[in-house]
Amino acid sequence: MPERTVTIASSVGLHARPASLFSQAAAKTGVPVTLTSAAGKSVNAASILGVLSLGIGHGEEVVLSSDAEGADAALDELATLLGTDLDKE
Amino acid sequence: MSDGTTDLTALLAESSIRLSESAASRDDAIRLAGAALVEAGAVDASYVDAMLEREQSVSTYVGEGVAIPHGTLAGKDSVRQDALVVLRFPEGVDWDGNHVSVAVGIAAKGNGHIALLSALAEVLMDPDKAAALRSAETPAAVYELLSDTDAD
Repeated sequence: MPERTVTIASSVGLHARPASLFSQAAAKTGVPVTLTSAAGKSVNAASILGVLSLGIGHGEEVVLSSDAEGADAALDELATLLGTDLDKE
Repeated sequence: MSDGTTDLTALLAESSIRLSESAASRDDAIRLAGAALVEAGAVDASYVDAMLEREQSVSTYVGEGVAIPHGTLAGKDSVRQDALVVLRFPEGVDWDGNHVSVAVGIAAKGNGHIALLSALAEVLMDPDKAAALRSAETPAAVYELLSDTDAD
C-alpha cells in the first residue's frame, strides 16, 4: 500500500489550526487517507477530531497511507503539507 | 504528555461550567468563553482578542456541534495557567454555518494544548459522549464525560 513517512514541521505540532488545514486538505483530495502516529494509532486523515486525538507534537514522525486510486498524488500533497510549518503567523 | 492521560477535569473549575448561555453570534460566544477564562484567572483580558484573531484565521469548529475556541500562538503570553471552560448554548450558535451547542474554551501554555486537545478529541469522537455533552444539564454530567478518557 502506498505510504509516506513525514516529520511534522509545524512548530506547535498538529493541533487546532494545522490539524484543521490538514484534515480539510485530506477531505478535498477525495481519497480515503489513513494517518498513523509513531505510537501506532491510526485515524481517518479527513477527521479533525481523529487527527487531534493523536496528539502529535512538532518533530514527530507520522505515516500517511492509502490504497485507493489516486493515492500517490493525494499522499504527496498531504505529505508536503505536513512538512510545512502550518502555524507560522 | 501525548499519551492521552491528561486529566481534563483538573483544568475545569465548576464555576467555569456554564450550561445555559446564549450568544447572538460566533464572536459573542467566543467573548463569553474568553470572559470565563479571565474570570477563572487563567488568562489576561488580551487573550480574548487572540481568540477572536485565531477564529478569523481558521474556524475552531471540530464537528459534533462543538467548537474549541483558543488563542493564537502570540496570545500565549497572556496565559497564566492551563484551563478549560465549558459553555453550553441550548439554543445554539451559528458558527460559520455550523450549529454549535457547546464551546470549550482553551488556555494552555507551551505545548500543553496538544495533550489537552487530544484528550478532548477522544471524548468527542464517541458520538454518544458528544451527544451527552451537548445535552448536559449539570456540571456533574460534564465532569463525568470529561473524566472518562481512555489512555488508549
